[in-house]
Amino acid sequence: MIEVKYFGAVAEKTKCEFEKLSFSEELSLQQLLQDLNNKYEFESLTFSVAVNQKIVSKTSDYTLHTSDIVALLPPFAGG
Amino acid sequence: MSETSRYNRQIILPEIGEGGQYKLLKSKVLVIGAGGLGAAILPYLAGAGVGEIGIVDDDFIEISNLHRQVIYKSSAVGKGKAAEAKAMILELNPLINVNVFSEKLSAKNAISLFENYDIIVDATDNIAIKYLINDACLVTHKPMVYGSIFRFQGQVSVFNYQNGPTYRCLYPDENNSALNCEDAGVVGVSVGIIGMLQANEVIKMILGVGEVLSGKILVYNVLKNEQQKYDFEKSSEVEMTKEDFEQKYNSSENQVEEIKFELILDEIENDQVLFLDVRNEDELPKINLKNTLQIPLVNLENEIGKLNLNQTIYVFCQSGSRSKIAVELLQKHQFKNIKSIAGGALAMKQSLHEKINSN
Repeated sequence: MIEVKYFGAVAEKTKCEFEKLSFSEELSLQQLLQDLNNKYEFESLTFSVAVNQKIVSKTSDYTLHTSDIVALLPPFAGG
Repeated sequence: MSETSRYNRQIILPEIGEGGQYKLLKSKVLVIGAGGLGAAILPYLAGAGVGEIGIVDDDFIEISNLHRQVIYKSSAVGKGKAAEAKAMILELNPLINVNVFSEKLSAKNAISLFENYDIIVDATDNIAIKYLINDACLVTHKPMVYGSIFRFQGQVSVFNYQNGPTYRCLYPDENNSALNCEDAGVVGVSVGIIGMLQANEVIKMILGVGEVLSGKILVYNVLKNEQQKYDFEKSSEVEMTKEDFEQKYNSSENQVEEIKFELILDEIENDQVLFLDVRNEDELPKINLKNTLQIPLVNLENEIGKLNLNQTIYVFCQSGSRSKIAVELLQKHQFKNIKSIAGGALAMKQSLHEKINSN
């Protein structure tokens, strides 16, 4: 099980602030993001991705482990 | 009451003392934006005795600002924000110096403004200006105290602190389209909380106490009273010299042309002209002109084929900021006759209303 947290405009798209996802084999972060994009169609929404409270600058070669917490953090603009 | 007791309650804190108060007095802080965030930041910096405060804002007070920009009076509607903010904080603390810059921050004035201050506070409401502030902070080696809001959530961080990570390290992709408060909606308290967290970072930096939010972004959810911190690292490609800065901004700035809707009222019956609504479908008020097309900004790039490259297109959103992003995007795709309608659908509704009443 991994947990995915959504913030700001991303949470508006997903219509939830977090969800738990189970996966059987080894899951890459890249694959997870692709699956989420297929599910929610983030389109031109941009966001940074954190795993266990750390922003991952290179999402392409990151392997997720059970009990990881992923967060999608879009920039905010209001003030 | 003598002035000597003004700062007494903070001077007795061991973290501050007379020495800390002197540091505050000697510090110079530039606050960019005197809107919701600025309205929370400015009085607290002034009250604490920050010796010199600069305020950059070219905007005027509107009645719809007052629910969150609580330093302004109803009687000040129509007046310039920066000057009103100065009057308010000087009344709170006449011992400080306040400089007003009633101008838009741009690549032309940013560096010369920043050079005169120690700390730059980003209290703005759009993404493009945040990149500009970030880049000018890199050139002038100043820390940038970032704050922003999306509905009931806020973010706070300090960039470029002692050569630490920057806004670009957190958000490298400049082409994003986040909503501001006018477009997304906001409660005054949420902006106030985030502004206060920014003021807190400023004061900590000046005093050298506590841990500055450098390399960390704090995300606050006011509905749940939850806050989380996320760490991020400095990426290798963030250096920016004055030459890089000028090259980047002087070529691209001021190319988005804005037009007032009143000036193109004659064209609303013209079917050669397209009014492009880049808001989402559920946004009100609806604007139905003879030739209106709705493509939400997020879909614009994918659906660009629906538009005619040579047509005159007036782009609008709710308040006039997403439409500018749309114009930039269309210009990148070789569209030539594109303008953004200033003030967006809200201003258009008003003009249409006045037109009907005057006929």
